[in-house]
Amino acid sequence: MSPDPQVVASELLDPVRGIISEVLLVPRDMVSAESSLMDELGAESIDFLDMIFRIEDIVGRRIPVSRWYEFVEERLHGANLAQAITTAVMVEFAERERALASR
Amino acid sequence: MRERVAITGIGVVSPIGIGRAEYTDGLRAGRSGTAHITAFDCDGFDTRIAAEVDDRRFDAGAWVEPRKMVKHMSRSAAFAVAAAAMARRDAGLGSEDVDPYRIAVSLGAGGMGPVDLDLLSGQATAAIRSARGQASDELDVPAFAREFRARTNPISMLRGLPNLAAAHLAIQQGARGPNNTITTACSAGTQAIGEGMRAIQRGDADVVFAGGTDAMINPVGVLGFSMLGTLSRRNDDPARASRPFDCDRDGFVIGEGAAVVVLERESVAAARGARVLAELAGYGCTCDAWRITDERPDAEAAVHAMRRCLDDAGASTSDVDYINAHGTGTRMNDLTESRAVHALFGPGSAVPPMSSTKSMIGHLLAAAGAAEAAATVFAMDAGFLPPTINVDSPDPECDIDCVPNVARVARVDAALSNSFGFGGQNACLLIRRW
Repeated sequence: MSPDPQVVASELLDPVRGIISEVLLVPRDMVSAESSLMDELGAESIDFLDMIFRIEDIVGRRIPVSRWYEFVEERLHGANLAQAITTAVMVEFAERERALASR
Repeated sequence: MRERVAITGIGVVSPIGIGRAEYTDGLRAGRSGTAHITAFDCDGFDTRIAAEVDDRRFDAGAWVEPRKMVKHMSRSAAFAVAAAAMARRDAGLGSEDVDPYRIAVSLGAGGMGPVDLDLLSGQATAAIRSARGQASDELDVPAFAREFRARTNPISMLRGLPNLAAAHLAIQQGARGPNNTITTACSAGTQAIGEGMRAIQRGDADVVFAGGTDAMINPVGVLGFSMLGTLSRRNDDPARASRPFDCDRDGFVIGEGAAVVVLERESVAAARGARVLAELAGYGCTCDAWRITDERPDAEAAVHAMRRCLDDAGASTSDVDYINAHGTGTRMNDLTESRAVHALFGPGSAVPPMSSTKSMIGHLLAAAGAAEAAATVFAMDAGFLPPTINVDSPDPECDIDCVPNVARVARVDAALSNSFGFGGQNACLLIRRW
């Protein structure tokens, strides 16, 4: 699956890759836009809490974790989440939250 | 006839050594693990000494797979996981040797709430920031919550739960059998090992990772015990501060670490050709039901616990060659404990040598009983009695042979290992040559 050009161009891609690398303790160059966080990089549910907490800093707004779950449900309904939740999905979420923060 | 319970492996993380070899050497050499506190700035504290695990030599990540799980572990959970891994290696226990559902965990632990320094700092900062500008001492809870929420990583809250050390241990060791955490503080380690033995005797498990862990060398832990008046204040001479049974003892030294033993059903150990270190032969437990910290002056419940332990092992006082004492170094404990052993052995009967490992490693709290049982096994195996160090003049009121200062070559066939905790819990193990 080729990366979404919007995600590749996003200035949040690198910070989010950095967060994923820190949280999952994987080398940064193993984290690409298409990397699946659970299947490939070994994330479990509490790791997402950790990632959202760190994303709050770059977005500048408190993010109740329920918003992440709602986003996943809406965006990836019916998908195999272990495969489908990728770095790109996390970037898209961060972009959306940042847009809300600047309103 | 009941199958025997074998001790087939031991792992230790302690202030005087990491791993069996270092720990045994430290015990034999009478090494002191107490020094000036380095974990945090203790300027102004009444007690500024503790027995710390050397972080330059302890790498939690080396014992954990996948390594990222270290982030979810409190300091005491990391100690426990490392000690269990070392114990398994010492036991030579392979992954095919036992059905995972027959491998249990029984762990003494403590430290409820966020006690690790980084979590404490987050809470304290939140409280301070929310209090700024407040006229009264009352906590502005909504403001505190905002500050706390903003600066606290949610996953850090997982580290505060005492049962999670045993959970991490089970994850790392693939132990799917009964999993229990015992939180009786100073006697937790001894009770966890005793209850582990019972799990095997009941038929609930064939192998048990049993032991204890604690890491309370942080501002709240040190202040808490200090304010209760239990800690030594020999800040000018830390290595010599812990001096159980000595005339000038003035309290205990907080230590940290973990010890885990592998307990194994005799037939399972034999089937895989395991090397057995010793038999865990008996366990006795009572409660003073008296006062919240003071021990019963007549030490009756403590005597009862030791007697129960001997009965459980089918042994008598004449079989006991050595006693590993609770021996905290407080004025009250050492005296009461000495009275208890004299009462147990009876007038006219000589009390065997009784020494305190706490003189060297400090008081490991929930890990103490386990680290001391480990010391007893290692010493039995290596043929010496661990000393009570820093004894300049043995207290005549205690009237015991505390193996002062120097380890003593001796053959031990059976030893009692005692823990008498805050809250009055008395626990005792009998360790016997196999």
